[in-house]
Parts: sequence; structure tokens; C-alpha cells
Amino acid sequence: MFGPLGFSLAPYIQSSKTLTSWVKPLANWYANAAGYRQYGFKYDDLLVEENEPVQKALSRLTPREHYDRAFRLKRASQASILHKPLEKNEWTPAAEDVRYLKPHVLEVMKEDAERHKWDTVVVEKK
Amino acid sequence: MLSARALNLQRITASSSSRTFATAVADAASGVRVAAVDFGQPTSAVTVLVKAGSRFQNKEGVANVLKNFAFKSTAKRSAIGTVREAELYGGLLSASLGREHLALTAEFLRGDEAFFVDVLSSFVTSARFTRHELEEYVKPLVESDAEAVASNPATRALEAAHALAFRSGLGSSLFAPAHNDINVADIKAFASSAFAKGNVAVIGTNIDSSTLNKLVEQSFTAATAAEGSTAAPASKYFGGETRLEGSGGPQTLFIGFGAEGAPSAELAALAAHLSTQPSVKWSKSLSPIATAIPEGAQVQSVYLPYSDASLFGLLVQAESVGGVKEAAKVAVEALRNAAKGLKEEEVKGAVARAKFAAASGVESREGLVNVLGAKIFAGSEVSVESTLSAFDKVNAASFSKAVSSLISAKPTLVTVGDSLNLPHTDELGF
Repeated sequence: MFGPLGFSLAPYIQSSKTLTSWVKPLANWYANAAGYRQYGFKYDDLLVEENEPVQKALSRLTPREHYDRAFRLKRASQASILHKPLEKNEWTPAAEDVRYLKPHVLEVMKEDAERHKWDTVVVEKK
Repeated sequence: MLSARALNLQRITASSSSRTFATAVADAASGVRVAAVDFGQPTSAVTVLVKAGSRFQNKEGVANVLKNFAFKSTAKRSAIGTVREAELYGGLLSASLGREHLALTAEFLRGDEAFFVDVLSSFVTSARFTRHELEEYVKPLVESDAEAVASNPATRALEAAHALAFRSGLGSSLFAPAHNDINVADIKAFASSAFAKGNVAVIGTNIDSSTLNKLVEQSFTAATAAEGSTAAPASKYFGGETRLEGSGGPQTLFIGFGAEGAPSAELAALAAHLSTQPSVKWSKSLSPIATAIPEGAQVQSVYLPYSDASLFGLLVQAESVGGVKEAAKVAVEALRNAAKGLKEEEVKGAVARAKFAAASGVESREGLVNVLGAKIFAGSEVSVESTLSAFDKVNAASFSKAVSSLISAKPTLVTVGDSLNLPHTDELGF
């Protein structure tokens, strides 16, 4: 439950149409209010990366994704030093705020789970 | 007692000689050719043979990468799942690449065929070819293949000789370049063209042919693989000379000739005639080369038959350049003498050795797959008898004719090592 991606109710909420229509505006407001988009980040840039699954997932990004991630981190650090968000035209639009890392993390977690399964498998003769 | 045993033995040989080597070639409903043979041994093997050798590749090194991608994740199971499950069944999975075919082999205990045929077919029909597997598992294997060949002068010489002799097609290397930009899209494109139904054959040993047929039908009909088969342009022989730098390893020289058309028994006999491999251990062979070359030098006769061309040559190796020069002179002279004509009994001896090598090669699983693989795609009768009976037609006249027409072509010369001092083509008298 508390994997590298953290706890999330999103799958449950997305399974219900009514709940989605209620929560979505709130979620969008929250994502904008959190302020990371004002610093040019995408949500997955904030993912805690000091653990093995995420490190492995990061190694699976394409070179282009790697470069862009490093660029966003540097630009945000500079903005942080200046104590000032980026210019408005550099904010991350909601459409570009995609989970580019999450699928890789999920894949790595699935592989780890499968490795654990095979490491601890009990073989029975039929 | 003794006579009873002798009788028994006779009966066994009689019954086994009447058995054809491959009991069935069926164009299964799935469109995949199937051949199976049962020798009654305890372990079975199934080889999926795909016309995806390096001659069919559209980008240098793709065939090697595809080979190293074998048994990685498919729609059915992940890479680790394949390995662990195969371990639990006690089977071996292997992939090997030739210039004509890619062979995916599973060896296992009798009774486990359903699982292993499924492993093989799922790679052919639903391999996922993911980018991270290419980076994490496959690239290191491809690099180690390339590194191993870079430190082996004999293999380097043969690779270069193929490139000179046939240029494209058969000339393309079995290995990927050390620095390549092969990506997942290239592999997917090559795999989807190579895994067409007409390109795939399944050869089983020690497995019941109807069982195998049924399994193949089940697992390959679900295939989305396209109909049809790939065809490579006919091979053409060119020849030429190249000199490669090589540090470490013996000084190496390869002098060879190519022949277009189907492989002939005469050239196999020539290879046997010149082979310095003795029939008795710790002795010298009767080959005209073996007795005349200096101590420490080695000459191997190389005969590589392919579906529409063959490459014959002599691989000369020695520690010193002088040794290579002397041994090459001897080897070329032996080749010229063979072209001038040999005594009838010499030819007979060579033919007998070549026939024995062909017949005993079929007894190993790899040898059988090689022989059947060549025939199963050609659509000819899948038996080994026709290969062996071709040797009976060789006589002194046809032998010398074949050899003289072979060496009348432009030679292929490759040297690996001291490029300045190793002999040139004209120094060998061509």
C-alpha cells in the first residue's frame, strides 16, 4: 500500500462517475494551488526518488525524458534561489502535467513482486 | 549365445536403417512446417527454426540482437518467469544464429513438451521487445558476442571472408557492430517480417510427431504472424583481399573460394581430403598438407555450405609470419594438385571421410537440425539419405573438375595479424 508511489484513492474515485465529477474540480484546484506547476515541474518530478524502484524506473526513461527532467529540476532550483516563481509562460500547463514516470515505477514494482513470487514459490508435485 | 546376440544386433540395425530420419513433415493447419523424429531417448528437444539469419537482416546486427532477445518477456510470461519455470521443469533454453536461420531450442524431459512448445511459440508470436529489456539484458549480450569475436582471429577472418565473398546477403556479419544504433523499432520490424508463417519450421527430436503437430497447431494458429515468407536475393560470389590488424592470437590467413548454387558433395570431399584432422589421436593425418607444414602451424579446411552458395577455404594459423607463409604455400599447392586430379583411391578415401562426417554429424541434435533445416525450407524430401547418396556419385573426374572450376574464380584472401608481412594474393600464386 505504501510503495514508492504512496497511498492513493484515485482508482476508487475514478471508478465512480458521480464521485469523479465532484472531486475532479477540487483536485484540479489543488494541483494548481500546490504551486509546483508555477515552478515548471511535472507531478512526477516530486516523486521521492531515493529508493531502488524509482531509481530503476528513472533509468528506463528515454534520453529525451531524462534531459527534460534534469532541465526542469535545474530551472526550478534557480527559481527557488531567486525566491520567485517562473514567468507565467513557463508554468507547466495542466495538459503537459502527465505521469511520465509512474508507468515505469509500476512496471518495476510488478517485476519485483514477480521475482519475490518466484523466489518463494512452493513447488508441489501433481 | 554369441550368435543369438549377433542376430539380435542385426535385427536392430535392419529396423533402424529402414526408419526415415524425420518421420513427418506436415504443413500444419497453422502454416508452420513440422518434422519430428523419435529415437526413444529420455530427453526431448524442440527447435523452432526461423528464416531470420543474418543474410535476411535489413540493418547490420539486427539478427544478432533478435537472437539475444530470445526468451525475454512475451505477452504470456515475463523473462524471469520463463527462466524460473523452465528451471522448475528442468529444461534448457538456447538460441543460436546462423547466416540462414535463427534456431530457438528447448531441451527437456519427455512429457513437458506442452510447456516448452508454448515458451518457444510465445516468443515467435507475441514477444514484447521492450526498450528497457534491450538496454538492461540484450545490449550486454550483444556486446559480449562482438567482443568475443574481436579477440578471435579465426572468426574475424571468416567474417571478413564472407563479406568479401558475398558482399551483401550471406556477406553480412553474424555479429552486431561494436557501436550500433539498433533500437526497438528496428527489431520489431525485422521480427515481424521474419516471423511470417512460411518462415517458421518446428523440428522435434525424441518426440511423437502427432503430439508435436497438435501442440504446434494449438500455439501457432493463435499467431497474428503474417502469411508468406521472406526471400533473399540469390547469392553471388565476388572475392577479393582484405588485411586486418590483429594484436594477440596467432597470425592468421584465410584463402578461400566461393561457389554459387546448391552445395556439392565434391567440395565436401575436397574439405575432407585437405583436412589435417587425423583419424587416429596423436598422429598426423594422411592429408598432403599435414605432413608438409612446419611444426606449430595449423591448416584447417573450411567448408561452409549455404542454401544457394558455399564457401570453401583454408584457414592457416601459426605463431610466426614465416610459419604462415610456408604453411600457406603448402596448402595452396595441395589445392592445385587436387585440381589437377587425384588418384582414384585418394578420392575414394576423401569421399569416405566426408560421408562419415556427414553421417555422424546427423547423430547429434544440432547436426540433425542443420541438415533438416536446410531441406525443410527448400521443400525437398526431409531425409538424410539423399545427402549421403550424393557422395556415391563422386569420382576422380568429377572431383578434379569441381575443384578446378572452384579455384579458377577470384580468390578471397583475408589476413589477420601482421598486415605488412603476411602474404598477399599474388604471392600465393593467384
